[in-house]
Amino acid sequence: MLEHLNAAATSPTRVVIIGAGGFVGGAIRKRLLADRINTLPLTRKELDLLAEGAGAKLADVLRSDDSVVMVSAVAPAKTVPVVMQNLRMAESVCVALASTPIAHLLYISSDAVYADDANPVTESSCCAPSTLHGMMHAARELMLRSASAAPVAVLRPTLIYGAADPHGGYGPNRFRRQAEKGEPITIFGEGEERRDHILVDDVAALAVLILAHRSRGALNAVTGFSTSFHDVARMVAAQFGDRVPVKSMPRPGPRPHLLHRFFDITNCHKTFPAFRFTPLAEGLAQAHRESRGAS
Amino acid sequence: MRPTIGFAGMTHLGINSAAASAARGFRTVCFDADAQLTGRLKAAELPVVEPGLPELLQEHGERLSFVSDAGKLADCDVVYIAADVSTDDDGQSDLAGIRGLIGAVARHLAERAILVVLCQVPPGFTRGLAFPRERLFYQVETLVFGRAVERATHPERIILGCEEPSRPLPHPLTSFLQAFGCPVLPMRYESAEFAKISINCCLVASVTVANTLAELSERIGADWNEIVPALKLDRRIGQHAYLAPGLGLSGGNLERDLATVLHLAAETGSHAELVRAFLANSRHRRGWPLRTLHREVLAGKPNAVVAVLGLAYKENTHSTKNSPSLALIRHLQTWRLRVHDPVVPLRAADHPQAMGCATAREAATGADALAIMTPWPAYRELSAGELRRVMRGRTVLDPYRVLDGAALRTAGFDYFTLGAPAARAGGRAPHA
Repeated sequence: MLEHLNAAATSPTRVVIIGAGGFVGGAIRKRLLADRINTLPLTRKELDLLAEGAGAKLADVLRSDDSVVMVSAVAPAKTVPVVMQNLRMAESVCVALASTPIAHLLYISSDAVYADDANPVTESSCCAPSTLHGMMHAARELMLRSASAAPVAVLRPTLIYGAADPHGGYGPNRFRRQAEKGEPITIFGEGEERRDHILVDDVAALAVLILAHRSRGALNAVTGFSTSFHDVARMVAAQFGDRVPVKSMPRPGPRPHLLHRFFDITNCHKTFPAFRFTPLAEGLAQAHRESRGAS
Repeated sequence: MRPTIGFAGMTHLGINSAAASAARGFRTVCFDADAQLTGRLKAAELPVVEPGLPELLQEHGERLSFVSDAGKLADCDVVYIAADVSTDDDGQSDLAGIRGLIGAVARHLAERAILVVLCQVPPGFTRGLAFPRERLFYQVETLVFGRAVERATHPERIILGCEEPSRPLPHPLTSFLQAFGCPVLPMRYESAEFAKISINCCLVASVTVANTLAELSERIGADWNEIVPALKLDRRIGQHAYLAPGLGLSGGNLERDLATVLHLAAETGSHAELVRAFLANSRHRRGWPLRTLHREVLAGKPNAVVAVLGLAYKENTHSTKNSPSLALIRHLQTWRLRVHDPVVPLRAADHPQAMGCATAREAATGADALAIMTPWPAYRELSAGELRRVMRGRTVLDPYRVLDGAALRTAGFDYFTLGAPAARAGGRAPHA
């Protein structure tokens, strides 16, 4: 659960986004710009966290009144070398935080930190990741919390979708791309796994609210509604006039023991009472429009 | 000759217990250091709401005396300590008050007088008191807010903690306890103190099972209310089992006992994950009204007006300790509220946009959503037709099934209760 150090929303003096060139970082940057908040976006071009001396370089950039968003990651972290890369990136940020005080740190983590059977998931659920990706985020959360003298907020998004997503991960983004290419949308098995899907703009909006309230603690970026991949595929297919078939494919591995994940979003209602999530149908329609507009 | 009984601490527990003592024919001295409070009690002005209590006090008032001088307890044969033991947000007890009261009372007692601790205290507390053990006892209190008179006058059994359970009880205490006509169970101090905690843990276990299965019922198309009678006819479960789903633990006593168990488990290395699960389930169900309101009304209506009926943690009491209603209101700060409670004043809501209403109907007037957060019997008089006439919106949250859900649905309302699927007007599907 988050605790607000600013009871009323207050614009941060400056927000430094580490990883501003990515899908989520870009959305946060866009939202901050729309809200006219002074922003210093750092992409890999300006700051390669894996480069020698990256920590010192970042320290030179940071100011004591900065709010910092750490969203840079090599994802998904499916192998040990990629996990270690991600930890070294976080280490660079820790080096900078150790030498330069800041006002606030927001780390964009993942719901993969939770145990698979933690239904319904809340911010108090047991963090016991079953994947390297989840363990990587859990370790980075701890590293950054340990290194930062400033208040730290952790935002843990579930499956994120949006037109600009560069990843082809299983879910709305892949389904849309398949449909755009005129290919059938493929789901594993019957696609019965029910998951929570959140629009990237909602993640960005929550991030900006956290920055404005200088919150500390943890919050899940989830909608509270879980939908099966089958239903998501049908919704995407419908955007193409149902010309696109949804086909079942053999699962790449054994059927997962836990098919569903649900979230209890009471804490979000308590933390940001006026925040409204974009319903999945509305968000998919928006992603569809934006994707069409971009092509 | 019948013994004289004293009660120190004119708390909810103390007043009801003293009234029961007088009702059993004993001269009863009621002490509290707060002279204003004893003055109000003498004038029959009660600081607590409890059905039947005013009548009981009136009927047996000639045997009751209210005093603010502890020295007046010197004539008592048995003196009960009935202090409130406050708890913090984590359910931890503050024992300073009860220790202070015992110290203040003990020095005035006659040499033969018996001291009985009647408050909820952790195991080991009674044995740690500096008072002669042969005259020191601990009695489990079984106060239930809203049913305190019945519980005090007709206890199911009396659980008594003693230094030596095999030794006969002293005469004045036996004489007093036998007047209640129920089994008396002597046991060592620690067993009696832990018996109280054990009773509450069993009740919480039942309620947690009910909450878990009621939530599942909501989602699979079952109705928990249809299942409960079948369970109660099972002898292993029983007619009086706590099977009504609720909105999390409230009142303070259950939370205190769970905290004590967790503390003891941590100190002794015992496995107590079950108790953590009770608490997690309680927190989850506490959020039901807030989640439902957001999902059904607030997410799409930033200017919604919410009517909240009831502030007390349950019906027939003025207590708001851990009240689900106040927990909901705390998180509706940006919405306008219309609030009614027959006993608890509006200031308890502590909400900048809450308007106090004289009646439930007035509270519902113009509201987009109605939440019946305390099942006061008077709310049963609200009809679907009346709500349709006065409300602006068509959403009713009725966790405790005070109203007729079918009638509300027919009248065009979306009706939400614990243990049954949402009843939506026109059978619409839930939001996605």
